[in-house]
Amino acid sequence: MSDITFRTEVHEQLGKIGAADIIVGIPSFNNARTIGHVVRAVQAGLAKYFPSHRAVIVNSDGGSSDGTIDVVQNTAAVDFSAILLHHRVEPISRIAFPYSGIPGKGSAFRSIFEIAKTLDAKACVVVDSDLRSITPEWIELLVKPVLSGGFDYVAPLYHRHKFDGTITNSIVYPLTRALYGKRVRQPIGGDFGFSGRLAQFYLTKDVWESDVARFGIDIWMTTTAMANGFKIAQSFLGAKIHDAKDPSSDLSNMLYQVVSAAFDLMEGYANTWAPICGSEPVTTFGFEYTVGLEHVNVNTARMLNLFREGLKNLREIWLEILGAGDFKEVERLGALTDGEFCFPIGLWTRVIYDYAIAFHQKKLPAEHLIKSLTPLYLGKTASFILAAKDMEGPEAEAEIEKLCMEFENNKDYLVTSWK
Amino acid sequence: MMDFLNLILEPLQEVFLTFKVFLPNLLAMIVIVIVGIVLARIVRIILIKSLTAINFDSWSDRMGFTTLMRKGDLWAKPSATLGAIVFWLLVIVTLMIGLSALNIPAIGGLVEQFFGYVPRVFSAAMILIIGYVLAGFISQGVLIAAVNSGYHYSKLLAKAIRTLLMVLILAMAMEQLQIAPSIVLAAFSIIFGGIVVALSISFGVGGIDAARRMIEQETLEKGAAETKDDIEHV
Repeated sequence: MSDITFRTEVHEQLGKIGAADIIVGIPSFNNARTIGHVVRAVQAGLAKYFPSHRAVIVNSDGGSSDGTIDVVQNTAAVDFSAILLHHRVEPISRIAFPYSGIPGKGSAFRSIFEIAKTLDAKACVVVDSDLRSITPEWIELLVKPVLSGGFDYVAPLYHRHKFDGTITNSIVYPLTRALYGKRVRQPIGGDFGFSGRLAQFYLTKDVWESDVARFGIDIWMTTTAMANGFKIAQSFLGAKIHDAKDPSSDLSNMLYQVVSAAFDLMEGYANTWAPICGSEPVTTFGFEYTVGLEHVNVNTARMLNLFREGLKNLREIWLEILGAGDFKEVERLGALTDGEFCFPIGLWTRVIYDYAIAFHQKKLPAEHLIKSLTPLYLGKTASFILAAKDMEGPEAEAEIEKLCMEFENNKDYLVTSWK
Repeated sequence: MMDFLNLILEPLQEVFLTFKVFLPNLLAMIVIVIVGIVLARIVRIILIKSLTAINFDSWSDRMGFTTLMRKGDLWAKPSATLGAIVFWLLVIVTLMIGLSALNIPAIGGLVEQFFGYVPRVFSAAMILIIGYVLAGFISQGVLIAAVNSGYHYSKLLAKAIRTLLMVLILAMAMEQLQIAPSIVLAAFSIIFGGIVVALSISFGVGGIDAARRMIEQETLEKGAAETKDDIEHV
């Protein structure tokens, strides 16, 4: 596999820096409005918690046209005297450049991994460039378990509204937990810490011309770490608040990107996940506290209408994927009124496993297959929202835990159907 | 008397001489046909076994070919059908080669015409096969996208797109086979244009009420959608 060729000025900068202990990577694309805050928080975190470590902030940009790179280069250094008792010993270097390769977060990360390898970094962190809630403590929580705890991978643990992160809560978390046996609550959180050793391992994988380079990097990093026996932890970071997503981004596209990445990984690691039974908690760092969360508007009537439209129009496709028995159960749900609608967790588990098997057996083109899951997913999401509307956060979390247990208990069905 | 006998024997002798010259050609044809049929049988057996080994029948089920065959009252397995098609193609080719071995100018011309037409048949068959798969793929994509967008007539839209594509593909295949190309082109234009005009007229005149209802329903739904979701799915 060929290495990335950096621009001359990046090479020169790397030559001047020589080596580093910590690399903080910030992938970006047109984030000029928010990246300044992220850079300042990272600088403060490095100054406060790692004053004697050599650190580099790397902005790997996807060709922004709004001056994102200029913002990174020109963001004034934090006045440490206002927040710190001691001055930082080591200066913090900054590198900002447009990455090469297929446009996507994965290509941006690849450049960060390459720089970590070149500078022989001990610990790396990647954080999103649109974060509004990042604090200097995030850097400590993502780096320290690697530098001092001997962990290779630190996943984030956020406090989120009970209705947020529904793809994570109803598909990605239960599925990865049941498959790989590790309770990593936010496998596609987006902000991770990892060791230099793991960064080098990532670079040995030949995935940089695939969808991983485009959109599947988060789940790929988490799964690769879990499936290859790296030591995993998670850190509580508080609330995750970021810039509003592009309103034109389509739910079925999002679902396709996330679910296809998870299913693709199942192909490669079938021998690893098949014998695993149950799951174990991973070490969690950080002091957990409750956060005031903004109200989330939901329209369950619209979701259920889309579910019923799916039932009416995608009958043949669902029948082919789910089989007659489960399809009949789905059909029964279609006859329920909004008030009595409840998607049983056992059925949902089998739906996801059936889709994974159909993906494996290539029953339909991948994009059609996963996009046909959208109405079912909306039905499940509406059902969860209706059930959890009067619940407090911990009760809603207990519902997700029940779903995870169902995924674990029904894993035999997946293993035996996987040929 | 001798002259009379000569008159009878000379044509017979000529027929005999012509037959003597023709006999090796006839034998060559018979041998070519027999060997060709035997080879075609062997090819059919090997092809069916190979297709069974690579699960061609299940693939055909998934791609909808089996359903298409059943609709056409073909009840054999797709692999066996493909084997039979290849077998008969080889038999026809063998027959043509055999006939050309007879060295009869009229048949030679016919054989030449046949072999000149074969590439057109082949490309028409390719257009039909690829077109059928592509039309299925596109209409399925349209169906799923329309359902996910909450469009009420998703199935109708997908079926209409599939039909239009199949009409287009059929016209392309017939044009390739040069079956009355001008008529095909005219028929295609009339059908395609007719569908568009019929849709416009039926929607504009006959479906005023339906159109009003649809627009009202869409407006109502937009109003309902204003209670939009703020959920972050990932």
